[in-house]
Parts: sequence; structure tokens; C-alpha cells
Amino acid sequence: MTTATFESGSQSGVKRFLGRTLPYVLLVLSISPIVLGYAWLIIATFSYRTEGLFPIDAAGNIGGWTLSNWSFLTDPAIWRVTLNSFVLAVGMVIGVGFVSSMAAYSLSRMNFAGRKGFLSLTLLLHAFPSVTLLIAIFFVLNFLSKIPAIGAWFGYNTLGGVALVMISLDLPLGIWLMKGFFDNLSWDMERAALIDGASRFRVWWEIIIPLIKPGLAALAIFNFLSGWSAFLIPFTFTVGSKVANLPVYMRQMISDTAPTNWNMIAAVGMFQLIPVLIFFIFTQEMLLSVYAGGSKGGT
Amino acid sequence: MKVELENLTKRWGNVVGADSMNLDVKDAEFVAFLGPSGCGKTTTLLMVAGIYKPTAGFIRFDGQVVNHVAPKDRNIGMVFQSYALYPHMNVFQNISYPLKLKKIPKDEMQKRAQRVADMMGIGHLMDRRPAQLSGGQQQRVALGRALVKEPQLLLFDEPLSNLDARLRLSMRSEIKRLQMGLGITSVYVTHDQVEAMTMADRVAVMKDGKLQAYSTPDELYDRPRTLFIAGFVGNPPMNFLEMEVVRENGDYHARREGFDVVIPSDRGEKAAGKGNVILGIRPEDITISDEGTPAEVFIVESLGRDDLINMHIGEASIHVLADPVLGLKMGQNVRLDFNTHKVQFFDPTTEKSLLWA
Amino acid sequence: MAEAVMGRKVIRGQKPPSRWAQFKATMGAWGFMGPATVLVLVFFFLPVVILFVISLTDLSSSNFSDPLTFVGLNNYVRLFRDRFFPKILGNTFFYVAVTLSCFNVGMALLLALLTTHINRRAGFFFRLIWLLPRITPSVIYILMWRRISHQPPFGLINQLLAPFGVEPQYWLFEQPWLFVILVNGFVGASFGLILFSSAIEAIPRDLITAAKVDGASTWQSIRDIVLPMIRWPLLFVTTYQTLSLLTSFEYILLLTEGGPGLYTTEVWALTAYKRALKTYFGHNQWGYGAAWGFVLVIIGIAMSIIYLRVFRFNELVQEPKIDVL
Ligand SMILES: Nc1ncnc2c1ncn2[C@@H]1O[C@H](COP(=O)(O)OP(=O)(O)OP(=O)(O)O)[C@@H](O)[C@H]1O
Ligand SMILES: [Mg+2]
Repeated sequence: MTTATFESGSQSGVKRFLGRTLPYVLLVLSISPIVLGYAWLIIATFSYRTEGLFPIDAAGNIGGWTLSNWSFLTDPAIWRVTLNSFVLAVGMVIGVGFVSSMAAYSLSRMNFAGRKGFLSLTLLLHAFPSVTLLIAIFFVLNFLSKIPAIGAWFGYNTLGGVALVMISLDLPLGIWLMKGFFDNLSWDMERAALIDGASRFRVWWEIIIPLIKPGLAALAIFNFLSGWSAFLIPFTFTVGSKVANLPVYMRQMISDTAPTNWNMIAAVGMFQLIPVLIFFIFTQEMLLSVYAGGSKGGT
Repeated sequence: MKVELENLTKRWGNVVGADSMNLDVKDAEFVAFLGPSGCGKTTTLLMVAGIYKPTAGFIRFDGQVVNHVAPKDRNIGMVFQSYALYPHMNVFQNISYPLKLKKIPKDEMQKRAQRVADMMGIGHLMDRRPAQLSGGQQQRVALGRALVKEPQLLLFDEPLSNLDARLRLSMRSEIKRLQMGLGITSVYVTHDQVEAMTMADRVAVMKDGKLQAYSTPDELYDRPRTLFIAGFVGNPPMNFLEMEVVRENGDYHARREGFDVVIPSDRGEKAAGKGNVILGIRPEDITISDEGTPAEVFIVESLGRDDLINMHIGEASIHVLADPVLGLKMGQNVRLDFNTHKVQFFDPTTEKSLLWA
Repeated sequence: MAEAVMGRKVIRGQKPPSRWAQFKATMGAWGFMGPATVLVLVFFFLPVVILFVISLTDLSSSNFSDPLTFVGLNNYVRLFRDRFFPKILGNTFFYVAVTLSCFNVGMALLLALLTTHINRRAGFFFRLIWLLPRITPSVIYILMWRRISHQPPFGLINQLLAPFGVEPQYWLFEQPWLFVILVNGFVGASFGLILFSSAIEAIPRDLITAAKVDGASTWQSIRDIVLPMIRWPLLFVTTYQTLSLLTSFEYILLLTEGGPGLYTTEVWALTAYKRALKTYFGHNQWGYGAAWGFVLVIIGIAMSIIYLRVFRFNELVQEPKIDVL
């Protein structure tokens, strides 16, 4: 389909040619900073230092490719940090997936006292500026730290605590998205299952969940990416490197060491980008649709 | 199992789903709920199933009120118009799901599911997913799933309306045969009156959430108690003509402009002297003959076996069934003979039958 | 309720529906809601209350262990008297207005028109590339922008503009606002872009063809057909993104930390965050920061309510078609 949508009929050849190519020119220009940024990142990863987009060797000439920036991979610290990132991402996937699909199920399909109220609340929270609550959440986490058994896992400066905060702040979107999926399922099927003898929990687990797997998958991708890339909340609620995740670790590399090794940071960044890009390449359609589905309120 | 509904009502705000329904279904009886779209058939059925909670009134199974009994404890099977099969399970898993929920041992589950599937003629399709089945096969699976736990009550919600006409016909007799064989009390919702009339022991006609009539198909057909029933039951529908019934020389005459027929006295005496009444007569009870009431052919519509002919008698318009060999043409003048033993009379204001009230 | 009344009237050997059973059924539903309810209570409700309470105290990291002293509305008074209050307020307005109009709505609309105008696959490709900043981890994304705007000899802009004789400079330092807006805009635009382009693609082709037949120019058909047809997504993106921008500060924190110099690019949300949680001197003024935060929460709640009303979200809610729990 190359026919342009908005093209008017009688135009001279030059004008028509412009009409065809101008959009492409503008679009290519528009994505140039993104392309440049990524290009630099990739080049920097494999060179000692860069000036602009050029790798520069010790003598100041173009050249000097190296793998030395990747030496961080031998540092055990990076693997712990990576693990933390991974745990956080998986925690988000499971946590938000479970909690929001349970809540969304009952909000969409059950007639219970308090349903309407909670539904309006979800809608309200959906637009709520949750980052402004970080100050107070700091105190909540500090308080959780003091609770004997829970504190060690979910208090301030723990991965669990960070995960809990992130899960909570993502819930309104998760519930709203999942509710959309539940709303579209057949009522007769659920009625049939109830008559067949299933409890609501079994209906949810054995009938409904298998049917909304695509929705869950979309939500999972979304949450994996946001858990994996999380910066602000881990940065705010952790100190030191024991519970840092990749973005925080990177940030620490920038601010702490006096002469920052930018190229190694670029390599760490590239390392962190790998799963993101994998998702990006293999789930393009789904990604676009998640953001479109989150439309009734994404970020 | 015996089922009784007492003042059963369901409302959502101002929307009335079912309004004060009273009826009983005898053990092993097959009852059809018949009515136009939106009249509350599904609503009533879902209350019986326990999916909807009644706003008021009671549902009794064998004399016990079951209003607050959960659907799974009611021991019922239900078949839906949309089949409502579980798409991620194969036929065997679909059919055996109720047994799995009852924690029936595996080998017995296998046996029972296979037996039901064989009975439904889908025993060889056990590994297929619903998406790989035809509509008829899917409905058989749904029927099998409803039957497998040997319920005491079977509920059908327009189970055949998604099937093509031929399949509908064969499934109709199959369901009826199964139900008679197993002797399970059944409630069958449909808006297809042929289905209701041919399958059911008794038919409940509903309109706007209210029960209009509840009796055997023959009685509904021959002795309609209201104008609505008379018009609703039977296809093509009954003709209605407003007229006066008078007694003259010991005979009862039904009269209007261009129309004067003698009515048997058992029917005539009930309509005589009541002023204007509505006379009802079915198209198949009118024949074209050599003598009788003159009429003019207006529209001829071919139904295949018969022609449905719209005729004018004076200003009135009626429908008549005629043999196509007569080759009637528009504008042709004919004479009509009315089978007066089948006429009905209704009060035009109360719309109640004057014969059977 | 009629049902409850009828239920208690005992009839022929039927025990009344026990309240216990009904209670249990309701609890069953809340069992599904349980985890979400707890998290919402602990991480939304409680924090709002705590935020307000703290904003009435002089709590800070130096008097953390002392008993709380309430200072009434002092923090709010101090906030409005702050020497930099006008500057921060102005910054916030500037930041939200410019980013919103130029990128989150303006650029998004332009890109949506362009990507729906060209070949479908190509349009999809460009949209996907525009999605990249959004899913790139913020730290890396900022790293790229820092490099782009870096001082000579490292910066990419300098290198690209050198052939045109542009004086090399430390762009981020010289034009901090430009980059704050670009950085946020490149993330923000994709939201509108996706919504607008799916809305535009949903416009029946006949409409546009008809306009073309009538001799409308490209611009006229956009103004008279496309824009009116995507009125709702436009309004939605505008309100929603206003709120998002008003409360977002992560990218600014990473890019300039509000600098360079004093409060050059500091916005309200960042002030609240820095005052309370991340100061250079390790002296966190929780009470004062909470006051900044709470004002923003009030604005946020007000705007969320407006936006729920405007978009009649309640009408999207359907009633369950199963009564039993
Ligand atoms: N869950 C519900 N909420 C509100 N109104 C409802 C609900 N279910 C049914 N109704 C209304 O109740 C009335 C009866 O609906 P019902 O589904 O019982 O009709 P029906 O006889 O089964 O019709 P059909 O032949 O079309 O299936 C209709 O007016 C319908 O709009
Ligand atoms: Mg129905």
C-alpha cells in the first residue's frame, strides 16, 4: 500500500515526489537522536575512548578497538547486581501478574459488597501521581524493617521491599489492563464451570487464567521490562551495592569514581540492554499493543 | 426431581428480568419456556441454575427451597446456546471436568466419560479441541458434559439455535429421545415454537418477564386463553377479525361487513351479546371452496408445500393456506369456507378468551 | 433488601440462608481482592496519610530519634516564602507546558500523521523505534543523551555540526532546558504516538477519499477530518500526560539534578524528592520535603478526579452477570 492517504489529486510531479519522500525524511530525522545514541553506545562499548562517534586510540587517531570494557563481566559484583535485577524483574512479573489478575478477576466477574468502591479507587489510582508518595513510603519501609520476621525481607534497603513498592505502584495499571481482558470472556463458559461444580477459585485458576494467557504474557513483558530497568525506586530505597540492581550500579559507577570510565559504563549499559532488546525484537507487535492497551492509562 | 417456582422475580434496578413466575415441573417432565427475545427465559433458567439470585420468590427442588444453594450443589446439568465449552481442554477433558471436580477416581472417570461420549456419538473425537469440531459436534460435547454427572435436572438455553436447520431437526429428536430414556426432569428454553410444541410435555409461554400460559402444546394450540397466546402460538399466526356475534333464529351468527358465518352454539353462545368481540381463526382452518364468504386474493406467498395467501374480505385482511395447484392470482375472487368448530373468541379490552377463561 | 426479608420468613422445612454463609461468600470475593487491598492500603493510603502528618512536623534526619514536634503549617508557609519558590514554580510550568505541547502531544500527533501516511510496514517500524526510549533503562538512556550533548571533544552534536562551522560547546551546560525537554519528550511522545496512530488508522478510508474527491488539500483533510475524529484520544493524552509530566522527575534527576547552577532546571517534584530523600549533605528535611510532596499529591488527586469525570470511566464498567460468589 504505497498510495498516500492524504495526497490530493492534481499535483505536479515535483510536488508529488516531495509528498512521497518528505514524510520519510522527517521521520528519519526524528529518530536520529535515538539512532545516534544507540550507535554511540555500541561503538563506545568496544573502544578505549570515543570522540563523537569515533573510537580514538592512545595516540589520538581513529581506531583502538578493544574488549577490555567488558572486563567487568569477571567482577563477581556485576553478577550479584544482575541477579538482583533479574530477581526484581521476575518478582514484578509474578507479583503484579498474580495480584492484579486475582483482583481484576473479582472486580470484573464477581458481585460483592465493595466492588464498585474498589473499582473507582483503581481508576483513581490509575492516574495518581504515585512517585510523589516516595517520601512517605520511605517511612513505611522503615517501619516494616522493624517488624521481626518481615523486616529482613521486605524492609528498607532490601530487594523484597523494593519489589513490594514497585509491585504496588504498578498495580492500578495491572488491574485495569487485566480487567479489560476478563471483561471480554464469555459469561456462559464461566456459568457452565460453576454448574459443573467448580468453586470461583477453580474457575479462575483452571478456566479463566488459561484463556487470558496472551494478556498475562503482555503484562509480564511490560513488568519484566519495568522491573529490569527500574532505577528510581531501588535508588531511593537502597544504600550500598549489596541490594543494588543494574541501573543503580551503573549510576554508582558514574558518581563515585573520580575519572569515570565512560566506555566501561557503556558496556555495562549494553549488557543491561540485551534482554530489553531481545524483548524488543521478538515481541514488537505485543509491545505496541501493550502500550496501546494500557492506553486507558499507561505511563 | 420436581421443580417449583413461586413468585420468582428478578430485577436489576428498573429492568425486569422475570416477574412473579409461578410454575411447577413434575418429575421426569420436559418443559419448554417459550417467548420472544428479551422476555426473561434465560433469566428464569439462570435463577433455577443458581447463577442469578432471585430478587424475590422461591425456587424449590423436591419441596426444598434452594434459593441459597450454590450452583454446584444443585446437581444440575446445563447446555448453553454458545456451547460454552472450555477451549483449552480437549473433548475428554471437557466431558470429564464435572467428574474431576467431584474427585471421582481416574479409571471410573474415564469409563463414565467414554460411555457418555459414545452415547452422544462423539466417542472417537476425545482428543480434539472444541475449535476442531463442527457446531453439531460441539453441542454434543456440551450435552455430554451436562449428562456425565447424572444430574437430576437438565437445563437447556436455546441449545439448537446456532445449528443449521437440518441438524436442528435431528438434534431435536435426539435430545427428546435421550431425555425420555434417562427420565431426567428438563427445562428447555427456546424462542422457536415448533421446537417447544414438538418436544415439550408442557409449554410455558412468557412475555415481558411474565408467565402468560402454562399447559400442554395441544391445549395451547386448541384452547388459547389469551389473545397473545393465540397470536404467538402457531405458524403462520392466527387471523383476528373484529365482529359481533348475534343470535338469530336459534343460530349464532358472527357478522361484520361482508362476512356472516354460522357458529356452533357451544362457542357462539359464549360470544353472543357481548358487543364487539375478536374472532380468531387459524389459516389452516380456512379452505377455498365453491361457496361461502367471498374474498379477493391480494398477495400470494409460496411456502413450498402450501401457498400463504393474503385475502381481503371487505376492509379486513386475513391469511389463508391454499394448495399451490389452485394457482391463485392476485385480484382473483374466491369463496372461503371457515371451519367454525375451531374459531376462538376474545374480549377486545381484556384480551382474554371468551371460550376458555 | 427484599431478599433478606423474604429469606428470614421460614418456609416448609427450609433453614433460612445463614448470614454466615453470605458472609463467607463475600469473604471469598475479598480473598481475591486481599493481596491487592493490602498493598494499596500500605503503599497508597498509608503514605498519603503519613505524607500529610510529616508535612506538619519538622522531622529531618538530624532529629529523627527525637519525639515528633508538630509545627503546624510552618512547612507550607516556608514553602511559599522560599527564595526559589517562584523560580521552581516557573520552571515547572515551563517544563510541563513546553514538553507537553512540543512533544507529548505535538510531536506525537505529527509522527502519528506521518507514520499513518506512509507504507504500513514502514510506519510500524518508525513507531517501534520511537518506542525504544521508553523501554530503554533510564540510566542508559540518559547516558546516551549526555554523550550527545557532551563538551568537546566528546559530544556527538559538536562533531555533527563541526562541518557547518558551529562553535563546539558543552551543550548540556549551555542549553540545559533544551535537553531536559528533549530527553523527556522523546520518551513522552511514544504514548501519544501509539494512541493517535491507532485512532487514525481506525478512521474509515472512505472519509478521506471523499474529501480528496472534493478537492481538499492534505492540510484541509487533516484539519477537517482527522483532527475531529481523534478528538478523544487527543484530550485523553493531554490530560493524562499533563499529570505524568507534573509529577515526573526521574530523567531530570539523572540528567541535570536540577542544575546546572542553582535550580536552573529544578521542577516541583524534584524539589520534593531532593529535600526529603537525596540531599548532597545527607541532611534530609523530611517534614519540609513532605510539604512540597503533599501539595503535588493534592494537585494530582484533583486532576485524576477531573480526568475520571471527563472521560466517564465509570461508564466503562459493566455489571457482573453472575450473582453467586
Ligand atoms: N445481567 C443483566 N443485567 C441487567 N439486565 C438484564 C441482565 N440480564 C438480562 N437482562 C434484561 O432482562 C430481560 C430479560 O432477558 P433474558 O436474557 O432473560 O431474555 P431471553 O428471554 O433469554 O431473551 P433471548 O431469547 O434474546 O435470549 C431483558 O430485558 C434483558 O435486557
Ligand atoms: Mg436468552
